[in-house]
Amino acid sequence: MAPGKNPDTRLSHTAAMILQALDAGFIYGFSIMEMTGLPSGTVYPAMRRLERDDLIRSQWEKQSIADAEQRPPRKYYKMTAAGRATLESSRKRYPLLERLFPTEEVRKA
Amino acid sequence: MKDFGNPLARALNLALIAGAWLIVPGGERGEWWREWRAELWQARHEHACDSRVSWASERALFGFCLGAYQDALCLRRLERRTHPVHRVRFGAAWQCIVSMVVLLVVSYTPSRVLPGVRAERKLARVPTRSGLVLIQDANNEDSPATISSGQYRAWKERKQEFFDDFAFYRVTREKVRWPQHDGSGWSIARASSNFFSLVGLPLQPVRAESGIVLSESAWRREFGANLDIAGSEVQLGSRRATIVGVVPDGDWGLPGKVDAWLLEPESQGTSAGAGYVVAHLSSSGESKVRSPRVQITSYAPHRTPDDFLGISVCHDVPTPLRIFLFAVLLAMLALPAVTSVSISEYSVSFDEVSWKRQALCWGFLAAKIALLLPTAYFVSVGVGYGLTTVTSASATYLQLAVSVFGCLLGMCWVLSDQRKRCPVCLERVAHPARVGQFSRTFLAWSGTELMCTGGHTLLHVPALPTSWFSTQRWMFLDPSWKFLFADPVQE
Repeated sequence: MAPGKNPDTRLSHTAAMILQALDAGFIYGFSIMEMTGLPSGTVYPAMRRLERDDLIRSQWEKQSIADAEQRPPRKYYKMTAAGRATLESSRKRYPLLERLFPTEEVRKA
Repeated sequence: MKDFGNPLARALNLALIAGAWLIVPGGERGEWWREWRAELWQARHEHACDSRVSWASERALFGFCLGAYQDALCLRRLERRTHPVHRVRFGAAWQCIVSMVVLLVVSYTPSRVLPGVRAERKLARVPTRSGLVLIQDANNEDSPATISSGQYRAWKERKQEFFDDFAFYRVTREKVRWPQHDGSGWSIARASSNFFSLVGLPLQPVRAESGIVLSESAWRREFGANLDIAGSEVQLGSRRATIVGVVPDGDWGLPGKVDAWLLEPESQGTSAGAGYVVAHLSSSGESKVRSPRVQITSYAPHRTPDDFLGISVCHDVPTPLRIFLFAVLLAMLALPAVTSVSISEYSVSFDEVSWKRQALCWGFLAAKIALLLPTAYFVSVGVGYGLTTVTSASATYLQLAVSVFGCLLGMCWVLSDQRKRCPVCLERVAHPARVGQFSRTFLAWSGTELMCTGGHTLLHVPALPTSWFSTQRWMFLDPSWKFLFADPVQE
């Protein structure tokens, strides 16, 4: 069974941090790096594996949006349903995970 | 889109990422590159906002770019798991042949490039006629240019028993000029017009009053290897001469280093002064004169006999190919003393192997030998003539030594390799296992067992050759062993 199909899949702390960062609204590689403090050599390979396991999926930003902001288009990552379920189980395993970053709601507040 | 930071630093960052791009599997490179460029832009935006170089920020960016390599390697690993490549067996027959072909090509290259080897090839191209003898004064062996032009004419005019033709040449230093050139000092051989036909070099008959034949080195040096040089005129002192050809450089065995040959018609008479006389032995002369040095006595009416020395100028210097063939013979004679020439014994009849497999086995051995020999030849020529001058005797000895050792070591390897190859699939046997104890050789079998990775055979190599187990033996495995081998080689 692929890891993504099983919500009880045990993620490494790094992968759990990345999922938590995505959940917190940091949705492209460099922003996740900045938020987690992990190096690029850890973040990007971990995201490749998460994508392979169907826990996250990627999508390119529209060119028009990037042009408007005068920068190259970014590759955004988004959690899948399996990813959310896995993150929930990871939060039980790593109780301090939620306190690492402010969530969207917290930041809006 | 605005770029940030120092352009040179940005280019270095991109170069680093481009290096990692090469590791990424082909199908994913486009998207990977696009993503990393975008991420680098973002990183530079955060770390290097102005054009000044900040070492701290550049160090951080350098670390960021190094991460691209880990990402690329991760993608490569994932690709390998998704699309596993067919496992390449170590020691397959085709790998051995390909390696030997590569070695042959590598050894052949110096023979096309090294100046010494090229000179040797040119020398081998020079066609010389057999039966040529250089005649010189018997009392003055140190200086062969001792025959006067008068003596030459006298010999040429009289009917000879042992020689059918004579040619004369005399080497002088002369200033040669031609249009658009002030002139330079050349070593000119003033020769009788029959010189080239006598030595056996193909040259069209000279129609010009005075024809000059350039040596290849002078043609290249003075005329830049101009192909349209034939028919041009040069000035030798007060005399004009027409260039009628170019002869290849090489050691013809004739004395005197010459830049050009000035052919003088017989009607004009040969130039005065002492020079060299080259004679060609007639059929009766060849049957009687067998020694490379022969005493010649010339009888003339009303004169006392003169003694001369005839030295053969035929090329008795062995060619590289002849040296190599001799070396192969020596190596083959020495081979049984160095290694066992038997391939091995078989515990069961070789008939278990189809005749096609048997033919393949012997064909493989023949192919290895066929590739080894030219490789050894090119290496020996490269070493022999690439490191020494072509006319040096040491070149011959060096080539001989390299050929003998090359062939000997090569044949030892070929036989040793063949002994370690499964007779069924031709793969090298692997997984050596030590069996028994050396101290108990006479009580129980002791040696090494190796297994064919395809599951065809088992090889027993005795630790100590005994009268009952002197050489290695193959044991063919029956089909009941097959289940142990996950990926058997197809028979």
